[in-house]
Amino acid sequence: MLANANRLTPYLFLAPAILILAVALMYPVGYMIWASFLDWNPSQRIAEADFVGLRNYTNLFSDAAFLESLGVTLRFAAVVVTVEMVLGVGLALLLDRQLRGMTILRTVFILPMMIAPIVVGLMWRYMYHPTVGILNRTLKSMGLDPVPWLSDGGWAFTSVVIADVWQWTPFIFILSLAALQSLPKSAMEAARIDGATGWQLIFYIKLPLMMPVLIVTALLRLIDAFKVLEVILVMTNGGPGLSTEILALRISRTASEFRELGYAAAMSNLLLILLMVLTLAMFFYGKIMDARAARIRAEAEEAV
Amino acid sequence: MFNLKTTLTGATLAALAAGTALANPYAPYEGTTLVVNFPAHPHYDAAINVLDQFTEETGIEVEVDQLQYLRMRERQTLELTKDEGDYDLIAYVVFSKADYVFADQLENLAKYFMNPALADPNYDQADLIDGYVQNIGVAGGEKGYLPGKMGSAFGVPFGSETSVLAYRKDIFEKHGIEAPTTYDELLEIACQIPELEPGMGGMASRAASGHQASHAFLLHLAPLGGQVFDDKWEPIINNEAGVAAANALKTIVDCGPEGGTTFGPAEAAASFKQGQSAMFLDSIAFAAGFEDETESTVAGNVGYAMHPMGVERASQTGGFGLAIPKNAENKEAAFLLMQWLTSKKGDLAVAMEGGNPSRFSTYQNEELNAKYPYSATFGEALEFADPDWRPIIPTWGSINADIGTTMSQVLTEGLDIQEALDGVAERTRATMDEAGYYAWQE
Repeated sequence: MLANANRLTPYLFLAPAILILAVALMYPVGYMIWASFLDWNPSQRIAEADFVGLRNYTNLFSDAAFLESLGVTLRFAAVVVTVEMVLGVGLALLLDRQLRGMTILRTVFILPMMIAPIVVGLMWRYMYHPTVGILNRTLKSMGLDPVPWLSDGGWAFTSVVIADVWQWTPFIFILSLAALQSLPKSAMEAARIDGATGWQLIFYIKLPLMMPVLIVTALLRLIDAFKVLEVILVMTNGGPGLSTEILALRISRTASEFRELGYAAAMSNLLLILLMVLTLAMFFYGKIMDARAARIRAEAEEAV
Repeated sequence: MFNLKTTLTGATLAALAAGTALANPYAPYEGTTLVVNFPAHPHYDAAINVLDQFTEETGIEVEVDQLQYLRMRERQTLELTKDEGDYDLIAYVVFSKADYVFADQLENLAKYFMNPALADPNYDQADLIDGYVQNIGVAGGEKGYLPGKMGSAFGVPFGSETSVLAYRKDIFEKHGIEAPTTYDELLEIACQIPELEPGMGGMASRAASGHQASHAFLLHLAPLGGQVFDDKWEPIINNEAGVAAANALKTIVDCGPEGGTTFGPAEAAASFKQGQSAMFLDSIAFAAGFEDETESTVAGNVGYAMHPMGVERASQTGGFGLAIPKNAENKEAAFLLMQWLTSKKGDLAVAMEGGNPSRFSTYQNEELNAKYPYSATFGEALEFADPDWRPIIPTWGSINADIGTTMSQVLTEGLDIQEALDGVAERTRATMDEAGYYAWQE
């Protein structure tokens, strides 16, 4: 009896936390899942909405605009995360040394991250302005043709990618720099003594050792890239056509402009599932890599 | 004896008080504070300026909650579904009419206009501009959103707009061009300007993906003889008139100022104000800004003409109306404010502050014409305001967005116009089918 009570004690202590978690986290998510089965417009209370089963989900897959926006989101996330990782890690490798004024430089580098997204959107929108924007004015003064930054589908996509890369590369940069500076000096010294060149040092020692941090960083950015809204909302509002209409924007428009809360909830759930799959994939990849490393270590020890 | 005297005095006082109450219909509501929801819009800025006058005359206080107009709709949707709302009077965007009336959230105004204690006999409903009343105020008639024998009023137009053509008098005179009266002339001049005045666009137009491109397309659709639906709710947006309207929009944008495909109304108006475009066909609400020398480089050089004619004259109708929410706390006092603001006196006072009149008589007022010389042209344009230039039905939000993104693809990606409109028609039909509009068809 007493043993039983003892075994229950931890759960008893956990109970308040679980309760709060259930109310604060599970309730809203549950609400959203329930809403996704309803035909619900904002003028109705949720109890008045009609239950339509899986209709919202089946409609999603035949909705060309939704599929296009899903495509835009995947492309956007893939491009920005790749570019930001390459630039961020590259910058970190370059700047991982004792320079004068490094602290100030680092602060300057992370400034873009600290600016509110709406402001970033407005700023870039004015820079991209077809006639008075700095970019086109510079091009013109150099005798080049102006670029339709936001008024052509392909260019508009490139333009929002540029703005996102500008804002979020510093995030990758500071995390990679922190990872680099915490690497064991002994490994580096050993490699140097063995005659490794600078490039070999980066590819065989630094990058593999940084990998766990890089994976988490990429994952965080990926999740963020899937949800980016304000910057694009201000810059293009999804246009021209649907060329920059990422999923978060589509969801927001479906809820407020088309007044279909159930349909918007179904989209949000799909986005949530997509992100969970990505997170789990990363998690298992990490597990597999850990297991492999452990096995190699064990084999090495046995060999000795 | 003494007692009798007191009673008598009391009775006299009561009678006197009753007498004043009769003479002043506002007395029972003195000291009431009304909470109203207005958009951030030049017309409502003007209205707020005259609210003090209302409080002074009636003793009713007014507290204003001003929001950006699209935010306003979200906020109202939330407020109107509550048991007790915070707003006594709301200004609503015309396309919200369908949603609010359908959800039974607005007071039918009949019982207020029937109440002799509330209704001002000098209100003169006939003086209110027909197109606006039909478009903004009335629901329940033809097609549900238009007036008809069974329709009734749920709101009063206040801050309503129609479209007129603003053009550069100086540029037109320099090249001997007359202001266009037909669409053929309009399109010809639009593409002539960039050749005559290098660097200047023909006409600045809204064109940004979504609502703006849809608005611009519909602006040309009605005068060119087209409509989104026929009388049986079958989409006919892809007929000849639809193609002509899309072609007109494409021509205008192609010959327009640089970067025009991303313009919303503010950017288009700015392009005209800064002298980068020779014409601007949009709401009358922008005129005051064109004549304001602190923000416009073309003030004094702007001429105004009626919306050019296609196969017919049909300028747009839009803007805002005033309504009393079902869940309002002070409905009667709210009606008094609504009546006061839209009365002849109130309408003129707001117009003198730069608002858009809702009455024919205000447009003819000499004082107003002396202050804003374009008022007469606007009054004339209003006679051709088309209340049915766009449907006001609950499914409109998604159809509007679809038209807008498709038009944007036509403008920026060279999508074939017929193909684009066929696609819109097909998707629109599916939306309408799902919403039950074909339930009565064989």
